[in-house]
Amino acid sequence: MNTRTQFLLLAFTAITLVAILRLVRSGKLKAKYSLLWITLGVAMLALAALPNIADRVAEKFGVYYQPALFFVIGIGFLLLVVIHFSYELSRMENRVRTLTEETTLIRHELASVRAELAVRPTDDGE
Amino acid sequence: MRRVRAVEAHARIRDVQSTVVIIPAFNEAQALPSTLRELCAVRPDLDVVVVDDGSRDTTVRVARAAGVEVLSLPYNLGIGGAMRLGFRYAVEQGYERALQFDADGQHDPNEIATLLAPLDDGADLVIGSRFSGRGDYKVGRSRGLAMRVLRSLAMRLAGQRFSDTSSGFRAFSGPMLERFAVDYPIEYLDSVEALVFACRAGYDVREVPTHMRERTGGTASNRRLRLLYHYIRVLVVLGCSPRPARRPVRGAAEAAAR
Repeated sequence: MNTRTQFLLLAFTAITLVAILRLVRSGKLKAKYSLLWITLGVAMLALAALPNIADRVAEKFGVYYQPALFFVIGIGFLLLVVIHFSYELSRMENRVRTLTEETTLIRHELASVRAELAVRPTDDGE
Repeated sequence: MRRVRAVEAHARIRDVQSTVVIIPAFNEAQALPSTLRELCAVRPDLDVVVVDDGSRDTTVRVARAAGVEVLSLPYNLGIGGAMRLGFRYAVEQGYERALQFDADGQHDPNEIATLLAPLDDGADLVIGSRFSGRGDYKVGRSRGLAMRVLRSLAMRLAGQRFSDTSSGFRAFSGPMLERFAVDYPIEYLDSVEALVFACRAGYDVREVPTHMRERTGGTASNRRLRLLYHYIRVLVVLGCSPRPARRPVRGAAEAAAR
């Protein structure tokens, strides 16, 4: 790997990592969503900083074009992140549905209580 | 103590087997009034709740005018979502049985007795079949083929024979209601999923032949692509469904109660 490529890669991953960590610290990104990003960042950082690791890994997996290793790892992690999102989205949908049911039932109950009160405003029901 | 007795008295005042008719309705203002009028005339003994699934027409007003209970969802959840709300309502209001009835007038209120009868006999889910002899319900060719494929898959998974797996004319026992109130397939073609689920969970599912009519109004949910999407979705859901329970859930629940 070219030194310039290595430097670029290092800078890029470092900036991304710092940005994500800052988002988590300011509470704008929940930690659970950042875990996969941070793992990816650290892995990329390690590979970029120590190119012989990347070389050895690439050789071991039969990857001849070494930068392709970065693509493979990146795409793999992105896939994990997207699956994680789908999972969270399904959970959210379930919760929103339940809340919708709840509000509808409460509105119905409110209307019937109001109607009952309107019929006998002074009667306490005993 | 007094309070408990009051509740018991209240339960006794209500019919021993209190039943609620759940009518899911999405943009059914046209057909709903006559459906409700006929239903209330034929079965004045039953309570009715219309679950408005975020209709953009006058469905809610029309239903309120008919003097039945109305639950109005703020947006469209899909037929299964509307039904789950209906089940929840039934359970919370203390009903012991429920019945699903279409808003578009294709179900005959005179057939309700046919549907409720097996519940007294211990059934948990009774399906009013359109194709088992009685009645003259017709469907298009491609729709018919799709329904047949779905039916054979559903029967295979359910381990039981059915002539109509997607009927929306169904009756539910108390235990079935309680289960469906928390756990019900929430989209279109819900009935097939629910059927397989109930069979696999060990509930007593039966089918009775019922007479059905042509729809009097509303639009059948038969827009091709949407139907195809839901069809494939159900195939995936059924394919992923868990293995059947060894022992009936009902027996287990009763044993736990003892």
